[in-house]
Amino acid sequence: MQRRSPYPYWFLLPAGTIFAVFFLVPTVASFYFSLTYWDPFEARFAGFENYQQFFSEPFLARGVMNTLIFAVLTSGLKTVLGLLLAVLLTSGLLGQSLLRSVVFFPVLVSTIGVGLLFQELMHPTEGAINVALEAVGIDGPGWLTNPSLALVSVALVDVWRGVGLATLIYIAGLATISPDYYEAARIDGATRWQQFWRVTVPLVRPATTTVIILSLIGGLRLFDLIWAMTRGGPGFASDVLASVIYKQYQAGFWGLSTAGNVILFLLIALLIVPLALHLNRREADL
Amino acid sequence: MRPRQVILGIVSMAVAFVIFVIPFLLVIFTAGKTAADASQIDFTPPVRWQFWQNLVDVVQTRDYQLLLAYWNSTVITVGAIAGLVIFGAMVGYVMQRRDTRLTRALYFVVLSGLMIPPAVVPTIWLLQEINLFKTLHGMILIQIAYGLGFTVLLYRSFIAAIPRDLDEAAIIDGGTPLQIFFRVILPLLKPVTVTIIVVQAIAIFNDFTHPLYYLPGAENVTVQITLYNFQSQFVSQLNLLFMNILLITIPPLLVFVFFNRQIVAGMTAGGVKG
Amino acid sequence: MSDVVLKGLRKSFGALEVIKGVDLHVASGEFCVFVGPSGCGKSTLLRMISGLEEQTSGMIEIGGRDVSRAEPKDRGIAMVFQSYALYPHLTVRENIGFGLSLARRPKAEIAEKVAEVARVLQLEDYLDRKPKALSGGQRQRVAIGRSIIRDPQVFLFDEPLSNLDAALRAQMRIELTELHARLGTTMIYVTHDQVEAMTMADKIVVLNGGRIEQVGAPMDLYDNPATPFVAGFIGSPKMNLYEGETARALGAGSVYGIRPEHVTLSESGGLWTGTVRHVERLGADSIIHIEATGLGPLVARVEGHRAFAPGQIVHASPIDGREVRY
Ligand SMILES: Nc1ncnc2c1ncn2[C@@H]1O[C@H](COP(=O)(O)OP(=O)(O)OP(=O)(O)O)[C@@H](O)[C@H]1O
Ligand SMILES: [Mg+2]
Repeated sequence: MQRRSPYPYWFLLPAGTIFAVFFLVPTVASFYFSLTYWDPFEARFAGFENYQQFFSEPFLARGVMNTLIFAVLTSGLKTVLGLLLAVLLTSGLLGQSLLRSVVFFPVLVSTIGVGLLFQELMHPTEGAINVALEAVGIDGPGWLTNPSLALVSVALVDVWRGVGLATLIYIAGLATISPDYYEAARIDGATRWQQFWRVTVPLVRPATTTVIILSLIGGLRLFDLIWAMTRGGPGFASDVLASVIYKQYQAGFWGLSTAGNVILFLLIALLIVPLALHLNRREADL
Repeated sequence: MRPRQVILGIVSMAVAFVIFVIPFLLVIFTAGKTAADASQIDFTPPVRWQFWQNLVDVVQTRDYQLLLAYWNSTVITVGAIAGLVIFGAMVGYVMQRRDTRLTRALYFVVLSGLMIPPAVVPTIWLLQEINLFKTLHGMILIQIAYGLGFTVLLYRSFIAAIPRDLDEAAIIDGGTPLQIFFRVILPLLKPVTVTIIVVQAIAIFNDFTHPLYYLPGAENVTVQITLYNFQSQFVSQLNLLFMNILLITIPPLLVFVFFNRQIVAGMTAGGVKG
Repeated sequence: MSDVVLKGLRKSFGALEVIKGVDLHVASGEFCVFVGPSGCGKSTLLRMISGLEEQTSGMIEIGGRDVSRAEPKDRGIAMVFQSYALYPHLTVRENIGFGLSLARRPKAEIAEKVAEVARVLQLEDYLDRKPKALSGGQRQRVAIGRSIIRDPQVFLFDEPLSNLDAALRAQMRIELTELHARLGTTMIYVTHDQVEAMTMADKIVVLNGGRIEQVGAPMDLYDNPATPFVAGFIGSPKMNLYEGETARALGAGSVYGIRPEHVTLSESGGLWTGTVRHVERLGADSIIHIEATGLGPLVARVEGHRAFAPGQIVHASPIDGREVRY
């Protein structure tokens, strides 16, 4: 007979039930529903039709491409800018802690608020950005109205909003690097530039891994900012998977929407799991 | 401080002012303008401040919808956080203290929960089946389910630093598992709990996507949804739109001012070991 | 009646057997010390008695009652941890009364008992402090207070003094011995410090690799170690032990041993001749390390004022009747 553990498994039950019912069940069910014609009234088995449609209809396929472009672009910018800002904001410059707060604050602000604000700021003729550019003689582009620019504009706003978190993670990462390394490098005659590349970049790797992975996941899943700024427009120019999922849901194409959902999490799994393993292994090699 | 650092600091602050501060100043200025004055957003203080009038106008829009939204958002946030803290800590505790195949498998489930986007339409179908669609209860449970990954991982790593001797002393003192958890462990988790409350409160309060899907209907509006809904109404009244943005930015701003340290701790801990 | 009886006790962690069959009787009121090298299973054995760890097989009786499968709280034991395990969020008062409060005893009763315990342990002035604001010795006393208040049949201690500095440790040794005399309760005490074992125990249990090597009163173990392991483990500096040919030449079957304090050194005429390698002066006595011809390294303990210098040739002899042979 086994005596009862002081750490009973039923402690897992409340959370486990909620998680299973509201997360796992729909996730598993989505694989089935993605194979059906599903609308608010019925669900009929349809095989891989939804997926075929996803990759043959240009406006849907565009969403998949845009998702990748958006995620890679924002993740790359946040990683690079985050590291540079973190180095700057740990160099003991005047107003350092104030600057940290200023850079970080947008992370906490409502995404919808940020989206609507920049929608106004990026207005082609009356927006503050182009008005300011005009004042210095530059003819500002239609940030959100030009189809080839809209996605990039949203990505820039996403970087504006999210770079503070990357910076914060990098600052925490930099704090774990012992000053001894820099002193040793200085004694060896390394320039600041060399110190950055030979000491900082390799030793801050764990933070880099975190920033890349977090921002990639965030970028792949992003919905609210795009929805507030362009609703995927103009046309389908800035549609991403998350906005396609919402549009198809609203249009009553539930099966198609769910197929988009499955594609999104396959995309995340296929991208993030190998990347995480790869980055973590390189880290362990250090 | 060397001259270099002073100069660099001044330059950085000037740049940060343009990039990060001006947008917020624009929000504040525009929120104080008259509709005509605000029709073109520019970086000038209002000709005539009518801050209070704009505030009243926004609050009164659509029959005081913003107040209802604040109430709904508060209920959801408070309910979800109560569940997250208690249930999440219980899971983190058992997962850290018992190293079995089950808890190890669970760890990966929790991790995948952090990564995988929820399957929205099947969730709606499920909520409809169990009559929780368009209800605040349903929304609370959803927010708990979505927030558990972060909460459990944070608690788990914090509990690892609480010596097992404390549990064992309480076991010998005759504590039941629940007594040990609520009277010994949970009080010791206070610092992370504050972090979790703050970080999750901001996340849930700012959530737009999930209420959009799971909580349609005028009587269920949340703060973010109102902002979105009012956008069409305020198209020619940017002063009101920006006043609305200002109003929903205030809660996170206050939290930021008072809990800066905990937010930083939570965001970096959640990140670095995520 | 609060004796502790262990019968055929075994414990495995997975495939690793840590306790390999322990039979032991600790008499009522006895101060029993478990000693042994690190990792030999002392803590595991103690934790099985407490019920924190479940035995793989075997039986545990406390006060004549089979408690093999009982919950820790039902065994009539109290335990003091090496880390003290004081609840950092509670005051000293709440820490001491915690067990009673868990059992939902009336507030007045708890207050009265806490006051009583605090008086016995001279903690009255600290009752409203948090553990953080106490010294190591005070924390130790709170931990003891928390166990006394349960009025247990048996006290279990797991290296309770190892976090204290040497002076405080010496003082707490005396306090604990006095406490034992006053309460008269059975105590089982784990340590790897043989000074604690020798000074405090009525009975010492020497453990090695999950088995009992020998059980006996301190001087018993010192005078008549049953195995070469006990011979080497009890006593400081360690007994000189020789194996093989050397041992057989000295009339032993396999192992010959002689304690450093039982080696006499002289300028001339001894059983062994050797060169002094190193001298450790401790004040009252000196430890002389010698390289003896035909024997190997030999350690002798002599009165502190006798002068020896490295390189010096000395003659050494064992004191008759103090040699051990296996
Ligand atoms: N929970 C466990 N799982 C696996 N092995 C364990 C566990 N607890 C103890 N052991 C092993 O059992 C053996 C005995 O451990 P125990 O803690 O009883 O030693 P000890 O005599 O108290 O040592 P020390 O003097 O260092 O405290 C050790 O080899 C240890 O690694
Ligand atoms: Mg031990």
